[in-house]
Amino acid sequence: MTVAENSRKGLVGRGVSRVDASDKVRGLARYADDLDVPGCWHGVIVRSPVSRGTLRSVKLDPACDASKAVVVTAQDIPGPNIVVMHDRAMPLLAFDEIRYIGEPLAVVAAPTRRQAIEVAEHVRIEIDELPAILTTAELVRKFKAGELKTGVEQNAPRGVGGFAGGAPESPDVLCSQSIVKGDVEKGFAEADQIVEAEYTAGHQEQLYIEPQGLVAIPQKDGGILIEGSMQCPYYIQHELHEALNLPAGKLRVRQAAVGGAFGGKEEFPSMLAGYCALPAMKAKKPVKIVYDRHQDILYTTKRHPVWVRHKTGVKKDGTITALKVDFLLDGGAYLTLSDVVMYRGILHAAMGYRCDHVFVNGIVGRTNTFPSGAFRGFGAPQAIWGVESHVDALARACGMTPHEFRLKNCLRVGDTTPTGMVLRDSVGSPAVLEEALKTSRFADKFAKCSRGRKGARKWYGIGLSFFAHGSGFTGDGESKIGTKVALDLGFENASPVVFIRVSSTEMGQGALTVLSQMAADGLGVDLDRVRYPLPDTGLVPNSGPTVASRTTMVVGSTVYSAACKLRQRLEESAGRPIAGSKSFEQIASKYLAEHGPLRVVEAFKLPDTVRWDQATFRGDAYPAFAWGCNVAEVEVDTRTLEIKVKKVTACFDVGRVINPVLVKGQVEGGLTQALGYAVMEKIGIKGGRFDANRMQTYVIPTALDVPEYDITFVEYPYEFAAPGAKGVGEMPMDGLAPAIANAIEAATGIRMTDLPITPEKLFKEVTTKCAKDAK
Amino acid sequence: MKFLEDMDCAFPKNLQEALKLMADEKSRGRPIAGGTDLMVQWSSGVLPMPERAIDLSGLPELKGVSENTDSVVIGAAVTHAEMRRSPIVQVHLPSLAQAAATIGGAQIQARGTIAGSVANASPAGDLGPSLLITNGRVVVASKAGEREIELAKFFLGYRKIDLQPDELIVRFILPKIHAGCRESFRKLGPRAAQAISKVMGSYRGSAKGKEVKDFAVALGSVAPIPIRLPEFEQWIVGKEIGKKVLDEAEQRVAAMIKPIDDIRSTAEYRQWVSGRIVRGFLEELVAE
Ligand SMILES: Cc1cc2nc3c(=O)[nH]c(=O)nc-3n(C[C@H](O)[C@H](O)[C@H](O)COP(=O)(O)OP(=O)(O)OC[C@H]3O[C@@H](n4cnc5c(N)ncnc54)[C@H](O)[C@@H]3O)c2cc1C
Repeated sequence: MTVAENSRKGLVGRGVSRVDASDKVRGLARYADDLDVPGCWHGVIVRSPVSRGTLRSVKLDPACDASKAVVVTAQDIPGPNIVVMHDRAMPLLAFDEIRYIGEPLAVVAAPTRRQAIEVAEHVRIEIDELPAILTTAELVRKFKAGELKTGVEQNAPRGVGGFAGGAPESPDVLCSQSIVKGDVEKGFAEADQIVEAEYTAGHQEQLYIEPQGLVAIPQKDGGILIEGSMQCPYYIQHELHEALNLPAGKLRVRQAAVGGAFGGKEEFPSMLAGYCALPAMKAKKPVKIVYDRHQDILYTTKRHPVWVRHKTGVKKDGTITALKVDFLLDGGAYLTLSDVVMYRGILHAAMGYRCDHVFVNGIVGRTNTFPSGAFRGFGAPQAIWGVESHVDALARACGMTPHEFRLKNCLRVGDTTPTGMVLRDSVGSPAVLEEALKTSRFADKFAKCSRGRKGARKWYGIGLSFFAHGSGFTGDGESKIGTKVALDLGFENASPVVFIRVSSTEMGQGALTVLSQMAADGLGVDLDRVRYPLPDTGLVPNSGPTVASRTTMVVGSTVYSAACKLRQRLEESAGRPIAGSKSFEQIASKYLAEHGPLRVVEAFKLPDTVRWDQATFRGDAYPAFAWGCNVAEVEVDTRTLEIKVKKVTACFDVGRVINPVLVKGQVEGGLTQALGYAVMEKIGIKGGRFDANRMQTYVIPTALDVPEYDITFVEYPYEFAAPGAKGVGEMPMDGLAPAIANAIEAATGIRMTDLPITPEKLFKEVTTKCAKDAK
Repeated sequence: MKFLEDMDCAFPKNLQEALKLMADEKSRGRPIAGGTDLMVQWSSGVLPMPERAIDLSGLPELKGVSENTDSVVIGAAVTHAEMRRSPIVQVHLPSLAQAAATIGGAQIQARGTIAGSVANASPAGDLGPSLLITNGRVVVASKAGEREIELAKFFLGYRKIDLQPDELIVRFILPKIHAGCRESFRKLGPRAAQAISKVMGSYRGSAKGKEVKDFAVALGSVAPIPIRLPEFEQWIVGKEIGKKVLDEAEQRVAAMIKPIDDIRSTAEYRQWVSGRIVRGFLEELVAE
């Protein structure tokens, strides 16, 4: 990085190079598999071969010599056999009812991986098989037949007021929640037309480069140290310490370098940490488990499959009178975090447009498949896939173009969202929409789309999506969890530096760099005066999990304000201002010599005006929204129906841009992941098992599939936490799939409603349409 | 379960040594060239790990591309990268050069070999159609001597080839494209690179104006082995290419093949798109 880029003034807003880049490109960063722990054993998990059943016994074949190994089953768990996520229902190791293929039943550990595998092959399992629900389609069938009882009426209740989920009444429902605004029935009565449609999408695999991997190391004090690949060190402590029967503090968790996560390392590592810790405690040896790619695809969480049904009332002039949405997620076998994924889903399922009468009904159904989990966007991409496809249908029904319809209806300052939040501050709508329409020359190009014209060699289409993404946790969650950060002033090689102490993790997204930029700016020093060591729960306060697009906005602003305070303390003690690294060095050295190390602790606070009722889902759903607009241009080969996404124009409002280079990287990466979701990535369930188990069969985009990107930002800073960033991490994943589907319709005249959109599916629709046209 | 470290590996210095090892059941092993198929199949458990592997990648007799008047001779251990870059292959076997250039990515092309692809005998092996349209032959050898087989007869069934346990593939003899002929390769995969084919095909042919003079066409990923379409080839020769003939050609090709559903594609799409690919070949053949 150049000296100029590192100059003290205005680090925020500059595209400084990544602080961790040099170690990573030189191979110096140490990932879980690189951790060289002396005397480390290796663990292997024994899994259920059936989707559902009663476990009769798990036993080691007595003929097997296991003198050099340990075998742990549910009986060996020191505390209650649960991983504490959003309920207390999921066992660490199954002991009674088995609920999915691949559910862990035992762990074998031995001095080498080979010995562990050999012993694991001798673990004998007896199971009485039970009938299982294996597909999202089966859940949808049950929903339509009224068999999924949620504790909430499925018809929109009249009158204002939200509904809490209530206890699920059917075993196939994990949780439910609705959002109510106005009275949808009244809205439908005011409509000239009612437009209904269903949209679906399957699982998506995160496919981070580095597979899951952790090591558990027994400590002298009887505790356990977990080290490895993870997003949220405190989650592991919180979710697992009961099962291990350890006080939270004795389950210490330290992050290693992480090679990508995308949500896949949010809650899942808590399970894996258990599978390392149990044999480690029994054998009194460190135990490591690093998945290979096959295991990682087959036995880790994926994005929730979705079925969403929209029923919308519109007037001839394009006014939306009623929005009714049924939003069903397939949670797999256990709840884990699915309630909150669904909440984010329903909060985005009818967002973006003005409407007085809204009813959104969210359900997480249960199937006997691997529990679905966190994945970039966390329910929002599924919701936006539905609503942004549907808005094109609404525009057509009103005889309007997709952009006219959106410009007419998009939320603006002063409008209220479905939860009744009045948009006042930091509203990048309609700016992102107008900007993307202009840079992509949408109106001109939309007029030239092929619409399935006969005789063409290629069909051209352009499509659009517009959306908001709630930054940070829902409602007042950011106040409730008590985000805490600390800055430590101390010496490193006799020169003073400031250490950032947070539990937020670098996983490839750039947190290390942007938080360092903000700390340096707050202090008024160069980047090289700031350190951000890998988080360790023994050393850092809990700044919350690294999720929900919250790190730059929430943790970063708290770091910034802590840095400002630290600077103030130093300046007061010195009686003169810090003017660059030189004077910082003098002032800080003097302070340290006189007073010893200095720690500043700061907590994040939401403004008092934020109101949120978690029971009724009314109020300010998020501290702020980031806004986005995606425009996709596609070409469909009429000879083969191959789909090529040629260009994507995108405009985002992510508040204040802290690092313009990194933010573009986030956006390009997220859009490419969304491209995969839209036209490539598929993983089905065959006999209860994922049908793709390697990178040959789970197809994600390559560099050659990536379209031309034209990305711009408009900045509407978050006003309550300097320097004013909002969320960015998840939003690029949100809107590209519907933009592509809309473009494909403009190209072919055919509306695709199931992701991914492949030539095979398009062919089926074309044949059906041809048969219909022929009649 | 077996592990890589359990496996022996022999490194013969020349073909004779290799054939000697192959001759005796006790010293015989699994031939390995680039290992791009084998390493994956072993580690995923698709294929059991053998007692011994015999590394062919260093055998000088299996390397090199050469030509004589009518044919190009390609050594068994020639890599995809070597084929795509070879001026001889580019000029005289353009479809093969094109196919080699679509295999995997740069790393796989640098290691994977022509014999490895043929011996692996996957229906999705991208070289199959380009080899078949040449009416070429493959030469295999054992300690007892050499044997020459028509490529069309070398593929026997799903992952089965006409190769005895003591034999190795040593080279391919592939007739050059004649002056005035055209050929090309078309691959449909799930993405732009690192893609295993849903369907691929090659043709070699000539035309006079709009009239088809010669036409050889082969398809892959639509049957257990790469296939030629002899009845179709007979039918199309002598036809004037126009909309009606193209429509019928498309239908005929689709009717001739019985592909399957799998993780990459569906039977119905493969059937339809095969006809479309051949239609494209015919259009290209008679194009100005
Ligand atoms: C990431 C990746 C991407 C790929 N992409 C493609 C693709 O796009 N298209 C495609 O067609 N293939 C693809 N492949 C498959 C593979 O690269 C090819 O089939 C390759 O040509 C195999 O050659 P090899 O030398 O590596 O074979 P090896 O793995 O060494 O051997 C394969 C088989 O051939 C036998 N064999 C090798 N040489 C001889 C010989 N001289 N005599 C007798 N038997 C022999 C071996 O015993 C074995 O059975 C891909 C593979 C990978 C890993």
